[in-house]
Amino acid sequence: MNERRTGWVLIVVLVGQLVFLAIQGGRAGETRAEKLGLRLLGPLARAVAAIPRSVADARQDMKLRNSLMDENRHLKREVESLRLRLLRLSDVQGEMLRLGDAVRYGTPPAGQIRAVDVVYVDYASWLRSLVVYTGNVPARKNQPVLSADGLVGRVVTFSGAYAKVQLVTDRAAGVGGMILRNRRQGVVRGGGGRGSSALELDYVPLQADVREGDQVLTAGIDGVYPRGIPVGTIVKVEGGGQLFHKIQLAPAVDFGALDQVYLLDYDALSPAMKENGPRGHS
Amino acid sequence: MDTLKLIAAIALAALVHFVGMSLWPGFARSVDVFLVVVVLHGLGGNSMSALVVGLVAGLLQDTLTSGPFGLFGFADTIVGYITARLAQRLVIQRPTGVLAVVGFASALQQAVAVVLTLVLLPSPELPSPLWVAVRAGACGILGMAIYVAMSNWRRSSEARRRGRMNRLRMG
Repeated sequence: MNERRTGWVLIVVLVGQLVFLAIQGGRAGETRAEKLGLRLLGPLARAVAAIPRSVADARQDMKLRNSLMDENRHLKREVESLRLRLLRLSDVQGEMLRLGDAVRYGTPPAGQIRAVDVVYVDYASWLRSLVVYTGNVPARKNQPVLSADGLVGRVVTFSGAYAKVQLVTDRAAGVGGMILRNRRQGVVRGGGGRGSSALELDYVPLQADVREGDQVLTAGIDGVYPRGIPVGTIVKVEGGGQLFHKIQLAPAVDFGALDQVYLLDYDALSPAMKENGPRGHS
Repeated sequence: MDTLKLIAAIALAALVHFVGMSLWPGFARSVDVFLVVVVLHGLGGNSMSALVVGLVAGLLQDTLTSGPFGLFGFADTIVGYITARLAQRLVIQRPTGVLAVVGFASALQQAVAVVLTLVLLPSPELPSPLWVAVRAGACGILGMAIYVAMSNWRRSSEARRRGRMNRLRMG
């Protein structure tokens, strides 16, 4: 093929890709090519992730054997105290449900969680992402992803047994957040940095009382995440603009230590609302 | 046969990427193994093939990032084509030449990706210039190392082949 023809092919390919990128509108969307890529690379990532995990597991098993008796005794004591606490909490829950019934307040559904393995995580580069192996039950788009410490992100693409997760620290991610101490709401966004500057809380007015050390949870107002999942802790508060505080958060989750996360089966919006928007609900 | 070799090279790049990420979380920020494969293939001088390899490797890389899908596909297509055209005009045989070409290609790829991100996203996160430089340098060194290893392997296998032929003639 002569170079002139190759030049034309290059132009066609580049224009095609530009059109494709423009149609996406800059969002991480679901395309067949991306799903195919995920299906091709997912098994390889899983195989590679399994090797250090099994080595680490074997090493940990050796260590655990030594301290197993101590840990067992400690856990027995902890189970006893937790049982007592559970009894007390079930009393409180019963009371809360009765009071809720009295004022006709419907509590939001809690949702089931499912543990899935992390096969690939890149939290250091500027286009960070995470891939999980979901097994036989596929993930769903926008499904919240949590760890034991707090919010990890949401599923943006899935293909077969693999799903790609947009991390909460991604610049394009947005979460409805709420300061636990005073219930003040705002929008949590990826801050573009790492560690203490990984998250920002926007749209909190200057009049609001915000302190360093305040915990921020999901507010349950974004239609993706339920209320009450830890997102991060406030580490810096500045009077940013004329109206709002400039708040930096340290994420609740250590993304470098993720080897297993939880998919939350939670649907904030009813199917009718999803199809027709808020008007369809009425 | 060449297609199979290319598929194997891209699969190997993916494997190295995953192993690197499992050993060190900053691997993807510092080295782009997919780009090294694209540039080393582009140095062969076949622009059509370099373009296709750039497109495929870039799209695979897009699968592993959170940005708009096609960002690296676009960037690597350009890089693959330019490298092949450059190889048609210049004789690049010295390892330092390969280092320079791969380093330049990495900088070009990141520049294209940044420009596209700025055009497509409202308030994008951008890589720091320091890490752009680190990545370009690391890619250059990796590209040079692979080039030297491949040249040595080719030379030794050629010598073995000649030795076998000579022995056959003597016998």
